[in-house]
Amino acid sequence: MNITQPPADVLLSLNNISLSFGGVKALTDISFDILKGEIRAIIGPNGAGKSSMLNVINGFYHPQQGEVWFDGSIRGPLKPYQIARQGIARTFQNIALFKGMSTLDNLMTGRITKMHANIFWQAIWKGKAEKEELEHRERVEHIIDFLEIQAIRKTPVGRLPYGMQKRVELGRALAAESKLLLLDEPMAGMNVEEKEDMCRFILDVHDQFGTTIALIEHDMGVVMDIADRVVVLDYGKKIGDGYPDEIRNNQNVIDAYLGVAHE
Amino acid sequence: MSPDILNTLEVILNGLMAGVMYSLVALGFVLIFKASGIFNYAQGVMALFAALTLVGIQTGQVPFSHLINVMFGTNYHNWSNGINTVAAIILTMCVMVLLAWLVEKIVLRHLVNQEPIILFMATIGLAFFLEGLGDLMWGANIKVLDVGLPSGGSFWLEDVTKEWASEGSEYFGMYIDVLDVWAAGIAIILVVALTIFSQYTKTGRALRAVADDHQAALTVGISLRTIWVVVWSIAGFVALVAGIMWGSKSGIQFSLSLIALKALPVLILGGFTSIPGAIIGGLIIGVGEKLFEFSLGPLIGGATENWFAYVLALMFLMFRPQGLFGDKIIERV
Repeated sequence: MNITQPPADVLLSLNNISLSFGGVKALTDISFDILKGEIRAIIGPNGAGKSSMLNVINGFYHPQQGEVWFDGSIRGPLKPYQIARQGIARTFQNIALFKGMSTLDNLMTGRITKMHANIFWQAIWKGKAEKEELEHRERVEHIIDFLEIQAIRKTPVGRLPYGMQKRVELGRALAAESKLLLLDEPMAGMNVEEKEDMCRFILDVHDQFGTTIALIEHDMGVVMDIADRVVVLDYGKKIGDGYPDEIRNNQNVIDAYLGVAHE
Repeated sequence: MSPDILNTLEVILNGLMAGVMYSLVALGFVLIFKASGIFNYAQGVMALFAALTLVGIQTGQVPFSHLINVMFGTNYHNWSNGINTVAAIILTMCVMVLLAWLVEKIVLRHLVNQEPIILFMATIGLAFFLEGLGDLMWGANIKVLDVGLPSGGSFWLEDVTKEWASEGSEYFGMYIDVLDVWAAGIAIILVVALTIFSQYTKTGRALRAVADDHQAALTVGISLRTIWVVVWSIAGFVALVAGIMWGSKSGIQFSLSLIALKALPVLILGGFTSIPGAIIGGLIIGVGEKLFEFSLGPLIGGATENWFAYVLALMFLMFRPQGLFGDKIIERV
Protein backbone atom coordinates (compact mmCIF):
# COMPACT_ATOMS: atom_id res chain seq x y z
CA MET A 1 0.00 0.00 0.00
CA ASN A 2 1.31 3.39 -0.96
CA ILE A 3 1.46 5.61 2.11
CA THR A 4 3.88 8.25 0.97
CA GLN A 5 2.51 11.68 0.29
CA PRO A 6 1.96 12.43 -3.40
CA PRO A 7 4.05 15.20 -5.05
CA ALA A 8 3.02 18.82 -4.64
CA ASP A 9 1.35 19.34 -7.97
CA VAL A 10 -1.13 16.50 -7.45
CA LEU A 11 -4.56 17.72 -6.30
CA LEU A 12 -6.30 14.37 -5.87
CA SER A 13 -4.72 10.98 -5.50
CA LEU A 14 -6.66 7.72 -5.30
CA ASN A 15 -4.70 4.72 -4.09
CA ASN A 16 -5.93 1.14 -4.38
CA ILE A 17 -9.60 2.04 -4.05
CA SER A 18 -11.91 -0.95 -3.79
CA LEU A 19 -15.66 -0.52 -3.39
CA SER A 20 -18.29 -3.22 -3.24
CA PHE A 21 -22.00 -3.39 -2.45
CA GLY A 22 -22.55 -6.77 -0.90
CA GLY A 23 -21.34 -9.19 -3.52
CA VAL A 24 -21.16 -6.67 -6.34
CA LYS A 25 -17.66 -5.29 -6.85
CA ALA A 26 -18.14 -1.78 -8.19
CA LEU A 27 -14.44 -0.81 -8.12
CA THR A 28 -11.41 -3.06 -7.79
CA ASP A 29 -8.01 -1.72 -6.80
CA ILE A 30 -8.17 1.56 -8.72
CA SER A 31 -5.32 4.06 -8.48
CA PHE A 32 -4.87 7.27 -10.40
CA ASP A 33 -4.20 10.90 -9.74
CA ILE A 34 -5.37 14.29 -10.93
CA LEU A 35 -2.85 17.10 -11.26
CA LYS A 36 -3.64 20.67 -10.30
CA GLY A 37 -5.16 22.59 -13.16
CA GLU A 38 -5.68 19.69 -15.53
CA ILE A 39 -8.79 18.36 -17.19
CA ARG A 40 -9.00 14.62 -16.47
CA ALA A 41 -11.51 12.53 -18.36
CA ILE A 42 -12.90 9.27 -16.95
CA ILE A 43 -14.33 7.08 -19.66
CA GLY A 44 -15.59 3.56 -20.05
CA PRO A 45 -18.64 1.51 -20.97
CA ASN A 46 -21.85 1.77 -18.95
CA GLY A 47 -21.60 0.04 -15.60
CA ALA A 48 -17.82 0.39 -15.48
CA GLY A 49 -17.98 2.23 -12.17
CA LYS A 50 -17.37 5.81 -13.32
CA SER A 51 -20.18 7.41 -11.30
CA SER A 52 -19.23 5.24 -8.31
CA MET A 53 -15.72 6.62 -8.65
CA LEU A 54 -17.05 10.18 -8.48
CA ASN A 55 -19.22 9.24 -5.51
CA VAL A 56 -16.11 8.00 -3.69
CA ILE A 57 -14.30 11.26 -4.46
CA ASN A 58 -17.36 13.18 -3.33
CA GLY A 59 -17.87 11.25 -0.11
CA PHE A 60 -21.24 9.65 -0.85
CA TYR A 61 -19.65 6.19 -0.87
CA HIS A 62 -16.88 5.06 1.45
CA PRO A 63 -14.51 2.57 -0.14
CA GLN A 64 -13.86 -0.61 1.80
CA GLN A 65 -10.19 -0.38 0.91
CA GLY A 66 -7.81 2.29 -0.30
CA GLU A 67 -7.16 5.89 0.51
CA VAL A 68 -7.96 9.28 -0.91
CA TRP A 69 -5.45 12.09 -0.75
CA PHE A 70 -6.87 15.54 -1.40
CA ASP A 71 -4.71 18.65 -1.59
CA GLY A 72 -1.75 17.11 0.14
CA SER A 73 -3.43 15.38 3.06
CA ILE A 74 -5.05 12.01 3.46
CA ARG A 75 -8.79 12.07 3.91
CA GLY A 76 -10.33 10.77 7.11
CA PRO A 77 -13.95 9.58 7.46
CA LEU A 78 -15.84 12.72 6.41
CA LYS A 79 -19.47 13.46 5.56
CA PRO A 80 -20.31 14.66 2.03
CA TYR A 81 -21.02 18.19 3.21
CA GLN A 82 -17.64 18.38 4.95
CA ILE A 83 -15.94 17.23 1.76
CA ALA A 84 -17.87 19.84 -0.20
CA ARG A 85 -16.57 22.49 2.19
CA GLN A 86 -13.02 21.29 1.60
CA GLY A 87 -13.39 22.39 -2.00
CA ILE A 88 -15.02 19.77 -4.19
CA ALA A 89 -18.07 20.67 -6.28
CA ARG A 90 -20.10 18.28 -8.41
CA THR A 91 -22.77 17.87 -11.03
CA PHE A 92 -24.92 14.77 -11.38
CA GLN A 93 -25.87 12.58 -14.28
CA ASN A 94 -29.58 12.81 -13.44
CA ILE A 95 -29.52 16.42 -12.26
CA ALA A 96 -29.76 17.12 -8.54
CA LEU A 97 -31.02 20.69 -8.54
CA PHE A 98 -33.46 22.23 -6.07
CA LYS A 99 -36.45 21.90 -8.37
CA GLY A 100 -38.77 24.23 -6.46
CA MET A 101 -36.29 27.12 -6.28
CA SER A 102 -35.36 29.62 -8.98
CA THR A 103 -32.12 29.54 -10.98
CA LEU A 104 -30.76 32.44 -8.96
CA ASP A 105 -31.54 30.73 -5.66
CA ASN A 106 -29.93 27.51 -6.84
CA LEU A 107 -26.75 29.34 -7.77
CA MET A 108 -26.76 31.17 -4.45
CA THR A 109 -26.92 27.85 -2.58
CA GLY A 110 -23.69 27.01 -4.37
CA ARG A 111 -22.06 29.80 -2.38
CA ILE A 112 -23.55 28.83 0.94
CA THR A 113 -20.29 27.50 2.37
CA LYS A 114 -18.76 30.93 1.84
CA MET A 115 -21.43 32.81 3.77
CA HIS A 116 -20.59 33.25 7.40
CA ALA A 117 -23.02 35.73 8.92
CA ASN A 118 -24.74 33.91 11.74
CA ILE A 119 -28.45 33.81 12.44
CA PHE A 120 -28.66 36.98 14.52
CA TRP A 121 -27.09 39.13 11.83
CA GLN A 122 -29.49 37.57 9.34
CA ALA A 123 -32.46 38.40 11.55
CA ILE A 124 -31.48 42.05 11.75
CA TRP A 125 -30.51 42.11 8.08
CA LYS A 126 -28.60 45.37 8.04
CA GLY A 127 -24.88 45.00 8.39
CA LYS A 128 -22.89 41.85 7.98
CA ALA A 129 -25.56 39.64 6.42
CA GLU A 130 -26.66 42.19 3.84
CA LYS A 131 -23.10 43.00 2.80
CA GLU A 132 -22.26 39.34 2.37
CA GLU A 133 -25.43 38.66 0.42
CA LEU A 134 -24.67 41.49 -2.01
CA GLU A 135 -21.08 40.34 -2.55
CA HIS A 136 -22.13 36.82 -3.31
CA ARG A 137 -24.97 38.00 -5.49
CA GLU A 138 -22.46 39.90 -7.60
CA ARG A 139 -20.33 36.78 -8.10
CA VAL A 140 -23.40 34.76 -9.01
CA GLU A 141 -24.52 37.35 -11.57
CA HIS A 142 -21.06 37.11 -13.10
CA ILE A 143 -21.56 33.36 -13.50
CA ILE A 144 -25.06 33.87 -14.91
CA ASP A 145 -23.62 36.20 -17.56
CA PHE A 146 -20.83 33.73 -18.28
CA LEU A 147 -23.26 30.87 -18.85
CA GLU A 148 -25.75 33.06 -20.72
CA ILE A 149 -28.73 32.11 -18.57
CA GLN A 150 -29.96 35.62 -17.74
CA ALA A 151 -33.37 34.97 -19.27
CA ILE A 152 -34.20 32.18 -16.82
CA ARG A 153 -32.88 33.72 -13.62
CA LYS A 154 -36.18 33.70 -11.79
CA THR A 155 -37.75 30.59 -13.29
CA PRO A 156 -38.26 27.62 -10.94
CA VAL A 157 -35.71 25.15 -12.16
CA GLY A 158 -38.16 22.26 -12.35
CA ARG A 159 -39.83 23.92 -15.33
CA LEU A 160 -36.72 24.34 -17.44
CA PRO A 161 -35.84 22.06 -20.36
CA TYR A 162 -33.21 19.41 -19.71
CA GLY A 163 -30.32 21.19 -21.43
CA MET A 164 -30.96 24.36 -19.43
CA GLN A 165 -31.12 22.41 -16.18
CA LYS A 166 -27.72 20.92 -16.94
CA ARG A 167 -26.35 24.40 -17.52
CA VAL A 168 -27.82 25.67 -14.24
CA GLU A 169 -26.29 22.72 -12.42
CA LEU A 170 -22.92 23.60 -13.92
CA GLY A 171 -23.50 27.16 -12.72
CA ARG A 172 -24.19 26.00 -9.20
CA ALA A 173 -21.01 23.91 -9.19
CA LEU A 174 -19.06 26.91 -10.53
CA ALA A 175 -20.55 29.21 -7.90
CA ALA A 176 -18.82 27.18 -5.21
CA GLU A 177 -15.41 28.30 -6.61
CA SER A 178 -14.02 24.92 -5.67
CA LYS A 179 -10.56 23.47 -6.10
CA LEU A 180 -11.90 20.40 -7.88
CA LEU A 181 -14.92 20.25 -10.15
CA LEU A 182 -16.52 16.85 -10.80
CA LEU A 183 -18.73 16.72 -13.89
CA ASP A 184 -20.83 13.59 -14.42
CA GLU A 185 -21.82 13.39 -18.10
CA PRO A 186 -22.41 17.12 -18.51
CA MET A 187 -23.30 16.72 -22.16
CA ALA A 188 -25.70 13.80 -21.99
CA GLY A 189 -28.77 14.32 -24.12
CA MET A 190 -27.55 17.38 -25.99
CA ASN A 191 -27.28 18.05 -29.70
CA VAL A 192 -24.06 19.12 -31.42
CA GLU A 193 -24.61 22.83 -30.91
CA GLU A 194 -25.41 22.47 -27.21
CA LYS A 195 -22.38 20.22 -26.76
CA GLU A 196 -20.15 22.81 -28.35
CA ASP A 197 -21.58 25.42 -25.98
CA MET A 198 -20.90 23.22 -22.94
CA CYS A 199 -17.38 22.47 -24.16
CA ARG A 200 -16.77 26.17 -24.53
CA PHE A 201 -18.03 26.83 -20.99
CA ILE A 202 -15.89 24.09 -19.51
CA LEU A 203 -12.77 25.31 -21.31
CA ASP A 204 -13.50 28.93 -20.38
CA VAL A 205 -13.92 27.94 -16.74
CA HIS A 206 -10.66 26.07 -16.90
CA ASP A 207 -8.84 29.00 -18.48
CA GLN A 208 -10.39 31.78 -16.41
CA PHE A 209 -10.52 30.22 -12.97
CA GLY A 210 -7.79 27.60 -13.27
CA THR A 211 -10.17 24.97 -11.83
CA THR A 212 -9.11 21.35 -11.88
CA ILE A 213 -11.80 19.33 -13.62
CA ALA A 214 -12.64 15.62 -13.57
CA LEU A 215 -15.08 14.76 -16.33
CA ILE A 216 -17.11 11.64 -17.11
CA GLU A 217 -18.09 11.67 -20.74
CA HIS A 218 -19.16 9.26 -23.48
CA ASP A 219 -18.57 11.44 -26.50
CA MET A 220 -15.06 10.52 -27.63
CA GLY A 221 -14.75 13.58 -29.82
CA VAL A 222 -15.26 15.82 -26.78
CA VAL A 223 -12.87 13.76 -24.66
CA MET A 224 -10.09 13.78 -27.21
CA ASP A 225 -10.54 17.53 -27.74
CA ILE A 226 -10.62 18.91 -24.24
CA ALA A 227 -9.04 16.35 -21.91
CA ASP A 228 -5.42 16.64 -20.83
CA ARG A 229 -5.28 13.06 -19.61
CA VAL A 230 -7.71 10.17 -19.67
CA VAL A 231 -8.38 7.22 -17.36
CA VAL A 232 -10.37 4.26 -18.71
CA LEU A 233 -12.48 1.97 -16.53
CA ASP A 234 -14.10 -1.33 -17.45
CA TYR A 235 -16.04 -3.62 -15.05
CA GLY A 236 -14.61 -1.70 -12.09
CA LYS A 237 -10.99 -2.08 -13.14
CA LYS A 238 -8.61 0.43 -14.66
CA ILE A 239 -7.59 -0.58 -18.16
CA GLY A 240 -5.92 2.57 -19.38
CA ASP A 241 -4.37 5.75 -18.03
CA GLY A 242 -2.53 8.38 -20.03
CA TYR A 243 -2.71 11.01 -22.74
CA PRO A 244 -5.62 10.95 -25.22
CA ASP A 245 -3.44 9.77 -28.12
CA GLU A 246 -2.00 6.88 -26.11
CA ILE A 247 -5.50 5.83 -25.04
CA ARG A 248 -6.81 5.99 -28.59
CA ASN A 249 -4.24 3.45 -29.68
CA ASN A 250 -4.38 1.21 -26.60
CA GLN A 251 -5.56 -2.24 -27.67
CA ASN A 252 -7.34 -3.02 -24.39
CA VAL A 253 -9.31 0.16 -24.61
CA ILE A 254 -10.21 -0.44 -28.22
CA ASP A 255 -11.46 -3.94 -27.43
CA ALA A 256 -13.48 -2.93 -24.40
CA TYR A 257 -14.92 0.38 -25.45
CA LEU A 258 -13.82 2.25 -28.53
CA GLY A 259 -14.22 -0.43 -31.12
CA VAL A 260 -12.48 -0.47 -34.46
CA ALA A 261 -13.39 1.71 -37.46
CA HIS A 262 -14.46 -0.50 -40.31
CA GLU A 263 -12.58 0.46 -43.48
CA MET B 1 -78.09 47.43 9.55
CA SER B 2 -80.33 44.80 10.94
CA PRO B 3 -79.18 42.81 13.95
CA ASP B 4 -79.09 39.70 11.80
CA ILE B 5 -76.41 41.10 9.54
CA LEU B 6 -74.48 42.39 12.52
CA ASN B 7 -74.72 39.00 14.23
CA THR B 8 -73.45 37.27 11.12
CA LEU B 9 -70.59 39.74 10.93
CA GLU B 10 -69.74 39.01 14.55
CA VAL B 11 -69.74 35.29 13.88
CA ILE B 12 -67.43 35.76 10.90
CA LEU B 13 -65.02 37.93 12.86
CA ASN B 14 -64.92 35.45 15.73
CA GLY B 15 -64.41 32.70 13.20
CA LEU B 16 -61.43 34.54 11.74
CA MET B 17 -59.93 34.92 15.20
CA ALA B 18 -60.45 31.25 16.02
CA GLY B 19 -58.95 30.40 12.65
CA VAL B 20 -55.81 32.34 13.44
CA MET B 21 -55.40 30.37 16.65
CA TYR B 22 -55.61 27.11 14.70
CA SER B 23 -53.12 28.46 12.18
CA LEU B 24 -50.57 29.16 14.88
CA VAL B 25 -50.50 25.47 15.71
CA ALA B 26 -50.52 24.39 12.06
CA LEU B 27 -47.52 26.64 11.36
CA GLY B 28 -45.23 24.52 13.52
CA PHE B 29 -46.24 21.39 11.60
CA VAL B 30 -45.60 23.07 8.26
CA LEU B 31 -42.11 24.18 9.22
CA ILE B 32 -40.93 20.74 10.24
CA PHE B 33 -42.66 18.95 7.39
CA LYS B 34 -41.23 21.37 4.85
CA ALA B 35 -37.67 20.90 5.93
CA SER B 36 -37.53 17.24 6.80
CA GLY B 37 -40.66 15.50 5.54
CA ILE B 38 -41.59 14.53 9.09
CA PHE B 39 -45.15 15.00 10.36
CA ASN B 40 -44.45 16.06 13.92
CA TYR B 41 -47.20 14.53 16.04
CA ALA B 42 -45.51 16.11 19.06
CA GLN B 43 -46.15 19.69 17.94
CA GLY B 44 -49.20 20.11 20.21
CA VAL B 45 -47.34 18.69 23.19
CA MET B 46 -44.41 21.00 22.39
CA ALA B 47 -46.83 23.94 22.69
CA LEU B 48 -48.02 22.57 26.03
CA PHE B 49 -44.46 21.98 27.25
CA ALA B 50 -43.37 25.44 26.18
CA ALA B 51 -46.30 27.05 27.97
CA LEU B 52 -45.67 24.98 31.12
CA THR B 53 -42.01 25.93 31.13
CA LEU B 54 -42.88 29.58 30.67
CA VAL B 55 -45.29 29.59 33.61
CA GLY B 56 -42.85 27.58 35.69
CA ILE B 57 -39.99 29.99 35.07
CA GLN B 58 -42.19 33.04 35.35
CA THR B 59 -43.57 32.05 38.77
CA GLY B 60 -40.21 30.86 39.99
CA GLN B 61 -41.21 27.23 40.38
CA VAL B 62 -38.60 24.61 41.11
CA PRO B 63 -38.61 22.05 38.27
CA PHE B 64 -39.20 18.44 39.31
CA SER B 65 -40.22 19.80 42.69
CA HIS B 66 -42.73 17.02 43.42
CA LEU B 67 -40.20 14.33 42.54
CA ILE B 68 -37.46 15.91 44.65
CA ASN B 69 -39.79 16.37 47.61
CA VAL B 70 -40.95 12.76 47.53
CA MET B 71 -37.44 11.38 47.15
CA PHE B 72 -35.65 13.54 49.67
CA GLY B 73 -38.43 14.57 52.03
CA THR B 74 -37.77 18.22 51.36
CA ASN B 75 -40.39 20.85 50.78
CA TYR B 76 -39.26 22.99 47.87
CA HIS B 77 -41.82 24.69 45.74
CA ASN B 78 -40.66 28.08 44.62
CA TRP B 79 -37.21 29.51 44.51
CA SER B 80 -38.35 33.03 43.79
CA ASN B 81 -41.50 35.06 43.68
CA GLY B 82 -41.44 35.50 39.99
CA ILE B 83 -39.30 36.64 37.12
CA ASN B 84 -39.88 39.38 34.63
CA THR B 85 -42.02 38.09 31.75
CA VAL B 86 -39.65 38.98 28.94
CA ALA B 87 -36.74 37.26 30.67
CA ALA B 88 -38.93 34.23 31.25
CA ILE B 89 -39.84 34.08 27.56
CA ILE B 90 -36.18 34.28 26.54
CA LEU B 91 -35.25 31.53 29.00
CA THR B 92 -38.09 29.34 27.75
CA MET B 93 -36.86 29.88 24.20
CA CYS B 94 -33.41 28.68 25.30
CA VAL B 95 -35.03 25.57 26.74
CA MET B 96 -36.83 24.94 23.43
CA VAL B 97 -33.56 25.30 21.48
CA LEU B 98 -31.96 22.83 23.87
CA LEU B 99 -34.90 20.51 23.32
CA ALA B 100 -34.46 20.81 19.54
CA TRP B 101 -30.80 19.94 19.86
CA LEU B 102 -31.57 16.93 22.07
CA VAL B 103 -34.29 15.69 19.71
CA GLU B 104 -31.86 15.87 16.79
CA LYS B 105 -29.11 14.12 18.72
CA ILE B 106 -31.15 11.38 20.34
CA VAL B 107 -33.98 10.74 17.89
CA LEU B 108 -33.45 12.14 14.39
CA ARG B 109 -29.80 11.31 13.91
CA HIS B 110 -30.40 7.61 14.26
CA LEU B 111 -33.38 7.54 11.95
CA VAL B 112 -31.90 9.19 8.89
CA ASN B 113 -33.11 7.62 5.62
CA GLN B 114 -35.92 5.72 7.31
CA GLU B 115 -39.45 5.65 5.94
CA PRO B 116 -41.63 8.67 6.77
CA ILE B 117 -43.97 6.45 8.75
CA ILE B 118 -41.13 5.43 11.06
CA LEU B 119 -40.24 9.04 11.69
CA PHE B 120 -43.92 9.72 12.41
CA MET B 121 -43.91 6.91 14.99
CA ALA B 122 -40.83 8.45 16.56
CA THR B 123 -42.67 11.75 16.98
CA ILE B 124 -45.59 9.94 18.62
CA GLY B 125 -43.10 8.53 21.12
CA LEU B 126 -41.68 12.01 21.57
CA ALA B 127 -45.16 13.34 22.29
CA PHE B 128 -45.74 10.81 25.08
CA PHE B 129 -42.29 11.51 26.49
CA LEU B 130 -42.72 15.29 26.50
CA GLU B 131 -46.14 15.02 28.11
CA GLY B 132 -44.73 12.90 30.92
CA LEU B 133 -41.71 15.16 31.28
CA GLY B 134 -43.93 18.23 31.48
CA ASP B 135 -46.01 16.58 34.19
CA LEU B 136 -42.95 15.51 36.15
CA MET B 137 -41.22 18.87 35.87
CA TRP B 138 -44.04 21.28 36.52
CA GLY B 139 -46.99 19.36 37.92
CA ALA B 140 -50.33 18.55 36.37
CA ASN B 141 -52.54 21.17 38.01
CA ILE B 142 -54.15 23.77 35.78
CA LYS B 143 -52.08 26.91 35.65
CA VAL B 144 -52.99 30.44 34.82
CA LEU B 145 -50.84 32.11 32.21
CA ASP B 146 -50.55 35.84 32.33
CA VAL B 147 -48.06 37.51 30.01
CA GLY B 148 -49.73 40.85 30.20
CA LEU B 149 -52.03 40.50 27.24
CA PRO B 150 -55.41 42.17 27.73
CA SER B 151 -58.50 40.02 27.51
CA GLY B 152 -62.25 40.23 27.68
CA GLY B 153 -64.63 42.17 25.51
CA SER B 154 -64.00 45.68 24.37
CA PHE B 155 -66.44 48.28 25.60
CA TRP B 156 -65.39 50.64 22.86
CA LEU B 157 -66.27 48.08 20.19
CA GLU B 158 -69.57 47.29 21.77
CA ASP B 159 -70.53 50.95 21.83
CA VAL B 160 -69.46 51.59 18.25
CA THR B 161 -71.31 48.61 16.85
CA LYS B 162 -74.39 49.41 18.84
CA GLU B 163 -74.65 52.57 16.73
CA TRP B 164 -74.74 50.59 13.52
CA ALA B 165 -77.89 48.71 14.42
CA SER B 166 -81.07 50.04 12.85
CA GLU B 167 -83.44 52.10 14.91
CA GLY B 168 -85.62 50.37 17.42
CA SER B 169 -83.91 47.00 17.35
CA GLU B 170 -82.63 45.43 20.51
CA TYR B 171 -78.91 45.12 19.88
CA PHE B 172 -76.19 45.28 22.49
CA GLY B 173 -73.06 45.59 20.38
CA MET B 174 -70.50 43.05 19.18
CA TYR B 175 -68.49 40.98 21.58
CA ILE B 176 -65.00 40.26 20.29
CA ASP B 177 -62.37 39.13 22.72
CA VAL B 178 -59.42 41.55 22.71
CA LEU B 179 -57.06 38.65 23.36
CA ASP B 180 -58.08 37.12 20.06
CA VAL B 181 -57.29 40.36 18.28
CA TRP B 182 -53.83 40.42 19.85
CA ALA B 183 -53.30 36.79 18.89
CA ALA B 184 -54.25 37.55 15.31
CA GLY B 185 -51.84 40.48 15.15
CA ILE B 186 -48.98 38.47 16.61
CA ALA B 187 -49.65 35.55 14.30
CA ILE B 188 -49.58 37.79 11.24
CA ILE B 189 -46.28 39.34 12.31
CA LEU B 190 -44.87 35.87 12.93
CA VAL B 191 -45.92 34.58 9.51
CA VAL B 192 -44.58 37.62 7.67
CA ALA B 193 -41.29 37.35 9.54
CA LEU B 194 -40.97 33.64 8.81
CA THR B 195 -41.76 34.12 5.13
CA ILE B 196 -39.20 36.90 4.75
CA PHE B 197 -36.65 34.82 6.64
CA SER B 198 -37.24 31.84 4.40
CA GLN B 199 -37.04 33.83 1.16
CA TYR B 200 -34.19 36.25 1.71
CA THR B 201 -31.67 34.97 4.20
CA LYS B 202 -28.89 32.44 3.82
CA THR B 203 -30.31 30.10 6.47
CA GLY B 204 -33.77 30.41 4.94
CA ARG B 205 -32.35 29.41 1.59
CA ALA B 206 -30.58 26.47 3.18
CA LEU B 207 -33.89 25.41 4.80
CA ARG B 208 -35.64 25.48 1.43
CA ALA B 209 -32.76 23.59 -0.17
CA VAL B 210 -32.90 20.83 2.46
CA ALA B 211 -36.68 20.65 2.04
CA ASP B 212 -36.21 20.15 -1.71
CA ASP B 213 -33.41 17.62 -2.13
CA HIS B 214 -31.22 16.19 0.63
CA GLN B 215 -28.50 14.86 -1.64
CA ALA B 216 -28.10 18.10 -3.54
CA ALA B 217 -27.99 19.99 -0.24
CA LEU B 218 -25.14 17.77 0.97
CA THR B 219 -23.31 18.37 -2.30
CA VAL B 220 -23.29 22.15 -1.87
CA GLY B 221 -22.00 21.84 1.65
CA ILE B 222 -25.13 22.24 3.80
CA SER B 223 -25.00 20.30 7.05
CA LEU B 224 -28.34 18.52 7.37
CA ARG B 225 -28.03 18.14 11.13
CA THR B 226 -27.52 21.84 11.76
CA ILE B 227 -30.51 22.67 9.59
CA TRP B 228 -32.71 20.19 11.49
CA VAL B 229 -31.77 21.77 14.80
CA VAL B 230 -32.62 25.19 13.35
CA VAL B 231 -35.98 23.96 12.04
CA TRP B 232 -37.00 22.29 15.29
CA SER B 233 -35.93 25.41 17.20
CA ILE B 234 -38.11 27.62 15.03
CA ALA B 235 -40.96 25.12 15.40
CA GLY B 236 -40.34 25.29 19.15
CA PHE B 237 -40.62 29.08 19.01
CA VAL B 238 -43.88 28.84 17.09
CA ALA B 239 -45.09 26.27 19.62
CA LEU B 240 -44.23 28.70 22.41
CA VAL B 241 -46.27 31.48 20.80
CA ALA B 242 -49.19 29.11 20.20
CA GLY B 243 -48.92 27.87 23.77
CA ILE B 244 -48.97 31.43 25.12
CA MET B 245 -52.04 32.35 23.08
CA TRP B 246 -54.06 29.26 23.88
CA GLY B 247 -52.85 29.23 27.48
CA SER B 248 -53.85 32.86 28.02
CA LYS B 249 -57.27 32.05 26.66
CA SER B 250 -58.15 28.91 28.58
CA GLY B 251 -55.40 28.23 31.10
CA ILE B 252 -52.67 25.65 30.76
CA GLN B 253 -54.08 22.19 31.07
CA PHE B 254 -52.96 18.94 29.60
CA SER B 255 -55.80 18.89 27.08
CA LEU B 256 -53.92 21.70 25.35
CA SER B 257 -52.03 19.07 23.41
CA LEU B 258 -55.29 18.10 21.72
CA ILE B 259 -55.32 21.32 19.72
CA ALA B 260 -52.83 19.54 17.50
CA LEU B 261 -55.74 17.43 16.27
CA LYS B 262 -57.56 20.57 15.19
CA ALA B 263 -54.51 21.57 13.15
CA LEU B 264 -54.87 18.53 10.89
CA PRO B 265 -57.85 19.84 8.86
CA VAL B 266 -56.01 23.16 8.59
CA LEU B 267 -53.00 21.42 7.09
CA ILE B 268 -55.09 19.39 4.67
CA LEU B 269 -56.79 22.53 3.43
CA GLY B 270 -53.77 24.73 3.23
CA GLY B 271 -51.21 22.20 2.09
CA PHE B 272 -48.59 20.59 4.29
CA THR B 273 -45.72 22.62 2.92
CA SER B 274 -47.07 26.13 2.69
CA ILE B 275 -46.72 28.77 5.39
CA PRO B 276 -49.36 31.12 3.93
CA GLY B 277 -51.47 28.02 3.35
CA ALA B 278 -51.51 27.31 7.10
CA ILE B 279 -52.93 30.77 7.70
CA ILE B 280 -55.51 30.70 4.92
CA GLY B 281 -56.52 27.15 5.81
CA GLY B 282 -56.94 28.13 9.43
CA LEU B 283 -59.08 31.12 8.54
CA ILE B 284 -61.31 29.05 6.27
CA ILE B 285 -61.78 26.39 8.92
CA GLY B 286 -62.44 28.95 11.63
CA VAL B 287 -64.99 30.95 9.66
CA GLY B 288 -66.57 27.88 8.11
CA GLU B 289 -67.00 26.19 11.45
CA LYS B 290 -68.63 29.13 13.16
CA LEU B 291 -70.80 30.15 10.23
CA PHE B 292 -72.05 26.60 9.72
CA GLU B 293 -72.91 26.24 13.39
CA PHE B 294 -74.63 29.61 13.38
CA SER B 295 -76.64 29.18 10.20
CA LEU B 296 -77.34 25.52 9.54
CA GLY B 297 -76.41 24.05 12.90
CA PRO B 298 -79.83 24.42 14.53
CA LEU B 299 -81.42 22.58 11.62
CA ILE B 300 -79.43 19.43 12.29
CA GLY B 301 -79.44 19.48 16.04
CA GLY B 302 -76.44 21.71 16.72
CA ALA B 303 -72.98 20.76 17.99
CA THR B 304 -71.58 20.79 14.46
CA GLU B 305 -68.41 22.62 15.45
CA ASN B 306 -66.82 19.38 16.51
CA TRP B 307 -66.96 17.66 13.17
CA PHE B 308 -67.35 20.33 10.51
CA ALA B 309 -63.61 20.89 10.07
CA TYR B 310 -62.98 17.19 9.49
CA VAL B 311 -65.78 16.82 6.96
CA LEU B 312 -64.40 19.79 5.06
CA ALA B 313 -60.94 18.24 5.15
CA LEU B 314 -62.33 14.95 3.84
CA MET B 315 -63.90 16.73 0.90
CA PHE B 316 -60.64 18.46 0.11
CA LEU B 317 -58.83 15.14 0.23
CA MET B 318 -61.17 13.83 -2.42
CA PHE B 319 -60.91 16.71 -4.83
CA ARG B 320 -57.65 18.53 -4.12
CA PRO B 321 -55.37 16.45 -1.92
CA GLN B 322 -52.39 18.79 -2.05
CA GLY B 323 -54.48 21.51 -0.43
CA LEU B 324 -54.90 25.04 -1.69
CA PHE B 325 -51.23 25.99 -1.59
CA GLY B 326 -49.37 22.73 -1.27
CA ASP B 327 -46.50 21.80 -3.54
CA LYS B 328 -47.66 20.79 -6.94
CA ILE B 329 -45.30 18.32 -8.48
CA ILE B 330 -43.45 20.19 -11.20
CA GLU B 331 -42.07 17.67 -13.58
CA ARG B 332 -40.98 17.75 -17.13
CA VAL B 333 -41.33 14.26 -18.45
